[in-house]
Amino acid sequence: MQMRAPRAQRRATASPLTQVSRVALALLVALSLLAAVAGGMLRAGANWPMLHGSLLLSQAAGAHAALMLSGFLGTVIAIERAVAVKLRWAFAAPVAAGGSSVFMLMGRFEVAALLGVSAALVSVAVHLVVLRRQRAAHTALLLVSSLAWLIGNALFAAGQGAAAALPWWFLLPVLTIAAERLEMTRLTRRHALALPTLLMIVAALLFGATTTSAGFAAPVAGGVLFGAALSALALWFGIFDIARRTLFAHGLARYMAVCLLAGYAWLALAGIAWMGMVLGCPGRDLALHALGLGFIVSMVMGHAPVILPAVARVKLLFGPWFYAPLLALHASLLLRLVGGIGHPELRTLGAELNAAALALFAATVVGSAIAWRAERVSRIR
Amino acid sequence: MKDDPPIDAPFPFPYKGPSRLQMPVLAALSRVVDPEVALSIVDLGLIYGVAIDQGRARVRMTMTSAACPVADVIVDEVEFELEGLLPAECAIEVELCWEPAWTPERMSARARRFMS
Repeated sequence: MQMRAPRAQRRATASPLTQVSRVALALLVALSLLAAVAGGMLRAGANWPMLHGSLLLSQAAGAHAALMLSGFLGTVIAIERAVAVKLRWAFAAPVAAGGSSVFMLMGRFEVAALLGVSAALVSVAVHLVVLRRQRAAHTALLLVSSLAWLIGNALFAAGQGAAAALPWWFLLPVLTIAAERLEMTRLTRRHALALPTLLMIVAALLFGATTTSAGFAAPVAGGVLFGAALSALALWFGIFDIARRTLFAHGLARYMAVCLLAGYAWLALAGIAWMGMVLGCPGRDLALHALGLGFIVSMVMGHAPVILPAVARVKLLFGPWFYAPLLALHASLLLRLVGGIGHPELRTLGAELNAAALALFAATVVGSAIAWRAERVSRIR
Repeated sequence: MKDDPPIDAPFPFPYKGPSRLQMPVLAALSRVVDPEVALSIVDLGLIYGVAIDQGRARVRMTMTSAACPVADVIVDEVEFELEGLLPAECAIEVELCWEPAWTPERMSARARRFMS
């Protein structure tokens, strides 16, 4: 009788990705993130000699939002979806999004913009496949998130600048998270108001982003609506999300809940600061980074121990040490965004410590992967 | 264990195969946990059926979302748990299906209690 092939071997042959393409994608993700972080530190006033005088890094500073939101998060989200649909062509989206970062850093904006639009177009097609497989509110919302990415990249390609694209770029991760959390509410007795209120908030976000970037109507009113909708979304998560329940679970589920709940607090603050920003108050850094780092990166840190084994085929040993970079992220954000009000030097120090928190998280992930292997070896012995 | 289903509870999924393997298969699949909610795939109602005959074990299961990249990891774990239980010459096939669609009613009473 035929023996079973080892699982790893069967899984490798079933996967549409070769080892080489997996490494290439990982490099594109790492490059986008590193460039975005280095550019962000320059923008925040970091005075490291190694950060200055490089044309590459000045490009990274100029393209910080594009690199972080469309380059890094766009690539990561597109990889997640390509792995889920198991279609080889779906990987064109992360390859194009990551490639867009490379050309952005080379100063070839027209090629970068074209690749960005191509990535989002493939992503829309992928989400249509997902929607056809599962017709549900959350899969429809995921499709909307990819359309928002497409609009942001199209505005950027049309020369409207990062400021016009910014709300749309933010909507890619924000609506992706909203869709995923909406899906999780099915595990509870979903309240009758949960779906209609979320749809109203999404409509407000889309309307606010349209009015902000179109420029023809009332960009200030649009920006205020966008900010109010972000805070309303935080309230929605606070009321309907399962994180309040999984906080009482253990291990990884509890850690993810902590990441989410801390992120929701920053999201509420980001919405208020966004309204202030469009009304001319100071606090642009608070609006953009409470949203980008406090909410979105906290969510990324929460899900990395689950998503990385799925997309990179690297198993991680979860342990309480994952709380260290999470605490570092939120503490450094408090220093930067609250302590930094009126104190530019604290803002810069906070931004440097934000980068250190991300580096600590990367080290934690690598250490956990090594720990998993070591534990497996000791178990086999 | 206090969380074990009561003796008279219906079996959580259709099972065809040697009766001596029925409870061990349930125990093996119950060890596979959705990491996000710390609930087993059996409690979440993701297993649609298990059939074991003539050197082949087939598992039909679903996920709560078609957009979830973690499906392969969960399928891996199902295979890992069954490999530890079934003889080496028994082939294991896990089929991921979307019809019928998963609904919250498929969750066990224990899972619903935890999430409510």
